[in-house]
Amino acid sequence: MNASYVRRFVVLSLLPAILVYALFVFVPVIWSTYYSFFDWKGIGAAKYIGLKNYVEIIHDTIFWRAMKNNLIFLVVSVFGQLPIALVLAILLHKSNALQRFIRSAVFVPMVLSSVVIGMIWQYIYHPQIGILNFLLDKLGLESWKLQWLSDTKIAIFALAPPLIWSFVGLYLIIFISAFQNIPGEIHDAAQIDGAEGTRKLISITLPMIWTTVQIAIILCISGSLKSFDLVYVMTKGGPAHGTELLATYMYNSTFSSYRYGFGSAISTSIVLISLIFIGLSQWITSRKTKA
Amino acid sequence: MQPLAAQPTQARSSRRNFSFGAWKQGVLWTFLTLYAILTLYPLFWLVLSSFKTNAEFFNSPFGLPASWQFSNYVTAWKSSKMGTAFLNSVIVSLVSLALTLFVSSLAAYVLARIKFRFKAIILTFFVIGMLIPIHSTLVPLFILMKQVGLLNSYWALILPYTAFALPTAIFVLTAYLASVPKEIEEAAYIDGTRLWGVFWRIMLPISLPALSTVIILSFLHFWNDFSFALVFISKSSLKTLPLSIANFADGYQTDYGLTLAAMTIAVIPTIAVYLAFQEQVMKGMTAGAVKG
Repeated sequence: MNASYVRRFVVLSLLPAILVYALFVFVPVIWSTYYSFFDWKGIGAAKYIGLKNYVEIIHDTIFWRAMKNNLIFLVVSVFGQLPIALVLAILLHKSNALQRFIRSAVFVPMVLSSVVIGMIWQYIYHPQIGILNFLLDKLGLESWKLQWLSDTKIAIFALAPPLIWSFVGLYLIIFISAFQNIPGEIHDAAQIDGAEGTRKLISITLPMIWTTVQIAIILCISGSLKSFDLVYVMTKGGPAHGTELLATYMYNSTFSSYRYGFGSAISTSIVLISLIFIGLSQWITSRKTKA
Repeated sequence: MQPLAAQPTQARSSRRNFSFGAWKQGVLWTFLTLYAILTLYPLFWLVLSSFKTNAEFFNSPFGLPASWQFSNYVTAWKSSKMGTAFLNSVIVSLVSLALTLFVSSLAAYVLARIKFRFKAIILTFFVIGMLIPIHSTLVPLFILMKQVGLLNSYWALILPYTAFALPTAIFVLTAYLASVPKEIEEAAYIDGTRLWGVFWRIMLPISLPALSTVIILSFLHFWNDFSFALVFISKSSLKTLPLSIANFADGYQTDYGLTLAAMTIAVIPTIAVYLAFQEQVMKGMTAGAVKG
């Protein structure tokens, strides 16, 4: 085969992938950054305003509220999902019928649409027809009954259980496959050295899957900054911005208030914040490994 | 990777744990089983409630339906354009899937098996895509689609779906194809097969396990997507299942059985895929996990 034939084949094969990907993923991100320097309502002329959108973001209390809610989600993911998934993985990485059943059950929500997940939990939390308040009533705990999703202070925390419910399965599977990648000889060696149970877990198993834990933390961070669907379906960011996230604020600013430039500035901020957090988590977790 | 093979050492350690306290094990497994049942309960509740009348839904949310209202399904399907939404979801998911598979496997073949300049850069370019939050592209994509007149068309979903599925697909397929021994191709070259033939007749069949991971993973993303459909589709005849269900609740706010029946219809395909290809789905999720 001559070189020009190979070259032509390489170019023609890569072209569709590069074109589709560049046009619909890469260029939009760059474009979004460009728009963020403009004041634009979506129609008419866009007016260049430099960094004004970003200055406004810094002074915007709703933005910081959204940021705080994203951080609550991040904490819930990292300290809620990961420990549950890790404990389950330790107990479930062997493979009898019961373990397989539990594993599958925990994983099922992963394949559901976030719309369905959001709507199911909306019904669970519904103040009049919801099964949560119904159950509290039956248990004689009337005083515990709450307006779960319409109380500004409670709503963001009411969103944590559906969040955990829908993603624990993913981290469970990630941890289980990490456990299975530990060579059997290491277990044997540990056994011979007399390491057992908890000791083996702490000094052998956990260090060996630490890279996976790091990856899981990164996933949690980028995942929680990306949260949108579930919250949009359940509360649309309300009540009174009580559950507003960066992504819902971006959506509302752009498509409800028609502030395309401002919305783009929030988009760009989300990308930047994700990168900062991922960098930070890398730095912290890799220091821990060295210690 | 052999995810589910129990290793002998593990069996040994489980025996030791067992002698360590049978009742403790009992408590532990009861607790875990309860956790699993609790996890499944919302789904179980969804399906049961979808057969109830409104009064029953309100009065006995935990009980079995006194009489099973299959009519909820019939009404949901007929009166609310569920059929159209279902068909839209099928069309959009299948076309995106076909495009994703063709485009990504061809690119992965070249990236994994042929030496050329800029290869590393192109691979990195694709992998970065796994870190980009979908939502940061919504505004510019909306403007782009509006300008080229793609809003409210199947392509408004198919093209971004394919684009966002490409990084994971290329990542999974390239990694898989890179492990195929060189000799297989060399024999084909000697027989006079050219590159396209090698791709089509050798590489594609060989990568079937990796392809099925990509198929399942992408299908679940396409079928369940909400954000893109929400922003790019406003015409009711083009709405996909997740979008029409989200709107459904507004239209039929007080008819709970009906809404839940519609939700169940939307969930059935993904649950079916999951039950049929459980191991593959789980493996796929870990392979595509980088996407988050």
